[in-house]
Amino acid sequence: MSYPPKLDQIINLFEHLPDEEKRETLITYADQAKNQTPKEGESFDLEDVRKDEECTDTVGIFLRVDPDKSAHYKVSLGPQVQTLTRAMTAILCKGLDGMKVADILEVPADFVPRIVGAELIRVRSQTVYYILTRMKSAAKVYLNRKREEELS
Amino acid sequence: MSDKNSSYTHPEALVTTDWVAEHLNDSTIRIVESNEDILLYDTGHIPGAVHIDWRSDLQDSTMRDYISPEAFAEVCSKNGITPDTTVVFYGDKSNWWSCYALWAFRLFGHKNVKIMDGGRDKWIAEGKELTRDKTKSEKTSYPVPAKRYDEEIRAFYEDALKFSEEKRPLIDVRSPGEFSGEITHMPEYPQEGVLRGGHVPHAKSFPWKRAANDDATFKSAEDLRAIYEGEAGLKQGEDIIAYCRIGERSAHTWFVLTYLLGYENVRNYDGSWTEWGNRVRAPIAKGK
Repeated sequence: MSYPPKLDQIINLFEHLPDEEKRETLITYADQAKNQTPKEGESFDLEDVRKDEECTDTVGIFLRVDPDKSAHYKVSLGPQVQTLTRAMTAILCKGLDGMKVADILEVPADFVPRIVGAELIRVRSQTVYYILTRMKSAAKVYLNRKREEELS
Repeated sequence: MSDKNSSYTHPEALVTTDWVAEHLNDSTIRIVESNEDILLYDTGHIPGAVHIDWRSDLQDSTMRDYISPEAFAEVCSKNGITPDTTVVFYGDKSNWWSCYALWAFRLFGHKNVKIMDGGRDKWIAEGKELTRDKTKSEKTSYPVPAKRYDEEIRAFYEDALKFSEEKRPLIDVRSPGEFSGEITHMPEYPQEGVLRGGHVPHAKSFPWKRAANDDATFKSAEDLRAIYEGEAGLKQGEDIIAYCRIGERSAHTWFVLTYLLGYENVRNYDGSWTEWGNRVRAPIAKGK
């Protein structure tokens, strides 16, 4: 599957950046991760807040799906979550915004090194893939619930 | 020097956040941040601090080993460090990686090294200044060290195996779950490619965390002696090997034993469990 246009745009941006600017842009995205936290009163179709054994802190995934089945994510991150994972959170919230919820399951993870750069993906920074996995997991749960509702 | 520090064997090796704040403009000192979170330094660091990365700066980029003495001299030169510079390390994760970087500096014979007690978290908790300004380092001419002191402070598989067979002091500093073999990853971390769980036969479990307070500072000398002399039965003068998964948590324990308690013959087995647990026919013990 090809990447959604918004994500594709971000990938292209990163691929053309020299290493130092890439780091600076990642920091900018990491700073923006706090803007992805759900605001008071916002409602969602699915909320999945948990502390997994493989992650250093709690991560909450909040999924809202429009009547046309386009998905919008918000993500809450505990204070111990790594900077790279924060950056990837903001990138994914922006890059996947508006995708059809079923298509999210098909988004390949091979864009991660294209954004982050191979040097930054290594032992102790592998949770950079974690947010995408959690987003896909939320989309899957949402779709399964809808399927069950339709059957019942 | 704080009262707590004065009871350590080498109190000069540990400085407080206040001490660092008072020495930000001291030209004889270089503050070095070393983290697990690869981008953390870029989000804000102690004014004047440089960043030395455990992987890209200190390890060989191809082989699993440390850099050469020539490369170490280059790392120091570009970061404004001379052989006389006092290097003060601090970082995230209760100073795991700053202890690791300090240990790596000792591998190359750099003697003037200190740890900032409590690390990055304590500095931030106290509301002390962070900056995103890039630190400019005037390039120095650091002479290439004559050798790397592997034999003195680094242990290899064969050394750990010998210690296991001879039931000599071998300290496993991982979590109890990793030691028993119940889990093959660190708590709160993904699997890091280890095929077998358990521990080196006859190793004793003394998780690194026991040496640290909740605010990431080191425990008092009295508390540390109770753990390592009282419970572990370590004796001054004997050879000791510490290990974990890749050598960073055991570098923390190495610092505690070497500098805070004054053991003179402690080595860090940096191959640690990611080597041992993958090695064909390496003996493994399970359980407590």
